[in-house]
Amino acid sequence: MKIFAKIQSLDRRYIYIIVALSIIIPLLIPFNSRIDTTKPTEDVYQMIDSFAGKPNKAILMNFSHNASTLAELFPMEVAVLRHCFERDVKVFTLCFMPDTAPLVDYAINTAKEDFPNIKAGVNYCNFGYKPYSLFLPILLGMGENIAEAVEIDSEGRKLENLPIIEGIKNYDDLNLVIDFSASSSVFSWVTYARAKFGANVAAGVTAVMAADNYPYLQSGQLIGMLAGIKGAAEYEKLVDVFATQQREFSKEIIKEEIVPITGDHPIYGDKIPYKFKKARIGMNAQTVAHLMIIIFILLGNIGYFANRKKGGKK
Amino acid sequence: MKRQIPLMIVIILGFLFVGHTFIPHKYSIDFYDWFISWTKAISPFAVALGVMSLWMVHGTKVTRKAPNWQYSLVTLVALVFTAFAGFMWGTNEGTPFMWLFKNVQLPMSATMFSLLAFYISSAAYKAFRARSPEATVLLVAGIIVMLGQVPIGAMISKWIPETATWILNVPNLAAKRGIMTGVGLGMTAVSLKILLGIERTYLGGGD
Repeated sequence: MKIFAKIQSLDRRYIYIIVALSIIIPLLIPFNSRIDTTKPTEDVYQMIDSFAGKPNKAILMNFSHNASTLAELFPMEVAVLRHCFERDVKVFTLCFMPDTAPLVDYAINTAKEDFPNIKAGVNYCNFGYKPYSLFLPILLGMGENIAEAVEIDSEGRKLENLPIIEGIKNYDDLNLVIDFSASSSVFSWVTYARAKFGANVAAGVTAVMAADNYPYLQSGQLIGMLAGIKGAAEYEKLVDVFATQQREFSKEIIKEEIVPITGDHPIYGDKIPYKFKKARIGMNAQTVAHLMIIIFILLGNIGYFANRKKGGKK
Repeated sequence: MKRQIPLMIVIILGFLFVGHTFIPHKYSIDFYDWFISWTKAISPFAVALGVMSLWMVHGTKVTRKAPNWQYSLVTLVALVFTAFAGFMWGTNEGTPFMWLFKNVQLPMSATMFSLLAFYISSAAYKAFRARSPEATVLLVAGIIVMLGQVPIGAMISKWIPETATWILNVPNLAAKRGIMTGVGLGMTAVSLKILLGIERTYLGGGD
């Protein structure tokens, strides 16, 4: 039974190599897998879609993370922006961390490359970076008057002079705030924007933070949630199936429809831009990585019990 | 006086803001707006203070040739160069600042965070053992949730994602609610202690 002793004392460098390969290979060689959408993701999609073509409705995307969690959060940000651009939903972006400001630009530029008619100040507006000490004043101030609370956009233009702000005064109009976060910042939006002004709040969070948000989701304080790369992949699929084809959401259609990321696509043929299927490719890597971790856990336990049976080290 | 004045500022302003929250009178709103304009003015000084502090800490290390002073030098050079690139050419797409962000900041931050996957795998293999009934429950729940989060879980059985959702919605939620209630009560108690001047550790000095 030397094999079990060997399993128990396997050098961790072999584990690292296997994990690295199980992530890198699926990223380099994408394959099609079935992505089933979940209710929290569908609820966010439907809420945004209900604002389509309405000049007096808008959403706010708050970026509360830095580049470290980009792999999980960036695809969902691009997918939400793409949804807004496809369906003519006004979108505002904001961040309170200095190193997040370029990330906001990066996300907007990535999404709008394919939409030549989308213009800053008309279809979207980046409020830019605001110091964190202004987080609460701005969050609360937007409940009264957005143009007064934020004052200027990232280019230094007065908000009140921009066409996008026409018909948008406070949370009654800016009726969905999505906080993309790798921390607990979404709680502040729930506590102040939701409780005090009745704003609809949704979260786009890393998978590790998702469990923390379930109480708010169940109580209805969060209208929906995109959880990790899975949530991003689900949102990409929803945008592909409905938004790109200007269709209304349907539970039956999304249940049946499979969007191949390596083959024919109803809009892009066999050329869905990489940036619009990034999360689904990431899901492949996550699938293999999860399987490898489960195999490691099982092997470790087999070795442990075999050793224990022999009366070896516990 | 060094402790009493800050203490008085905190107590007075604390009660004023509690009053503002519950009494939306014109005077309280005007005071709040006036205070916010001060907050906006203070923010840039906080940034300046941060840069000064960073410069003093790392500058001292470099001049004294403290252990690993080379890293401090890299920090200072990066600080100066990034700020220079931003002020000189702006921060829009196609500028040196954005190039630095995409090619230095972004991959370095992502690399640091991705190390987590390797540590989790190694730790799961070495330590995630069914040593007791409680550990076994945790292990089984962990495997189900991991499988439920990826498409292969549904391919194996439709019960896997459903069970994973149940675990997150019921036992996880119960535990989270308990923790959050405790945290909420704790925060209320600490806030009251600060308002009443009982809790003073934020002033420094340890008493």
